[in-house]
Amino acid sequence: MDPNTTQILAKGIAQGAAFLGAGICMGIGALGPGVGEGYTAGKACEGVARSPEQAGLITRTMLIGQAVSESTGIYSLVIALLLIFTT
Amino acid sequence: MVLEADILKVFLYTGAALSTGIASLSAGFGEGYAAAHTARSIMRQPNASSVLTRTMLISQAVVESGAIFALVISMLLLFGGFTQGGADWAKAFSLLGAGLAIGLGCTGPNFGSGYSAARAIEGIGRNPSKSGRITANMLIGQAITESGTIFALVVSLLLLYTVPAQMSEPSLAKMIMKACAYITAGIVIGIGTFGPGTGIGYVAGKANISISKHSKDQGVITRTMFLGAAVSESTAIYALVISFLLIFVS
Repeated sequence: MDPNTTQILAKGIAQGAAFLGAGICMGIGALGPGVGEGYTAGKACEGVARSPEQAGLITRTMLIGQAVSESTGIYSLVIALLLIFTT
Repeated sequence: MVLEADILKVFLYTGAALSTGIASLSAGFGEGYAAAHTARSIMRQPNASSVLTRTMLISQAVVESGAIFALVISMLLLFGGFTQGGADWAKAFSLLGAGLAIGLGCTGPNFGSGYSAARAIEGIGRNPSKSGRITANMLIGQAITESGTIFALVVSLLLLYTVPAQMSEPSLAKMIMKACAYITAGIVIGIGTFGPGTGIGYVAGKANISISKHSKDQGVITRTMFLGAAVSESTAIYALVISFLLIFVS
C-alpha cells in the first residue's frame, strides 16, 4: 500500500471511530439522567399525593433537581455533536 | 465492494436474532413482574380478582407491543428481500444496526411499563373502587413510557429503507466511516432509550400507587407525572437527534 492510500484509509477509520464514540457517549450518557430524573419525578408524585397543598413547592423542587440531573445529559450531547462535526 | 449474498445473510440473521431475542427478554420480565403483583393482589383481595385480571391483561398487551415491533423488524430482515440486488458493507452494517436499535431500544421501556403496570395493579388491589381512574392513569403512563420504543422503531425503519444498497462513489475509507456511522445510529437509540424508559416507568408507577391512596388529588398527581416524564424524556430525544445526524449527515 502506498503512503497516500494509507493516509486516506487512516482518515476514514478515524472518522468512523469518532462516530462510534459519539454514539456510545450519547447512548450511555442518556442512561443516568433518564433514570435519575424519573426517580425524582416519581418521588415528587408521591409527595404531591401526600400533601397536595404543597404541590407548587414540590413541583418547583422537582424541576430544579431534574435540571441539575439533566446537565450530564447535555454534556454528552455536546461531546457527541463535537465528535460528529469537528473531527 | 458488493458483498457476497452469504456474507450479507450473516448480518441479516444476526440482526433478526438480536432484535427479537433482546426485546423478548425485557418484555417477558416486565409482563412477569405485572403478573406476579396481580397474583399477590388477588391473594389479598380475592373479591376483586376479575378487575385485577382484566387490568393485568390490558397492561401486558401494552408491554408486549415493544416485542411485537421487534418481531416485525426481524421478519422484515429475514424476508424483506435485502439479499436481492446486492449490498455493500455500509448497508450490511445498517441492517445489523436496525436489529440492534429495536432490540435494545425496547428494553428500558418494557421494564418501565412493567413496573408501572405492577404498581397500578397493586393500587387496584388496595382500592378496587378506584380501578377506572388507576387504569386510565396507567395507560397514559405506559403510552409515554413506550415513546422510546417508537423512537427506536423509527430509527430501525430508516436504517432498513433510507440507506442506499450501494454507495455512489465507493472507497474503502468512506465505507468504513459509513459502516461505523450506521451501526452506531442503532446502538445510540438502543442504549439511549434505556434510562428514560425505566425512569418514566418509575414515575408512572409511583403516580398510579399515589392515585390509589389519594384518589381525590388525581388531577395534580397526573400533572406532576406529565411534567416529570417530559423532562425525563429529553435525553431520549437527544439520542434520537444523534441517531438522525449519524444516518443523514455522516
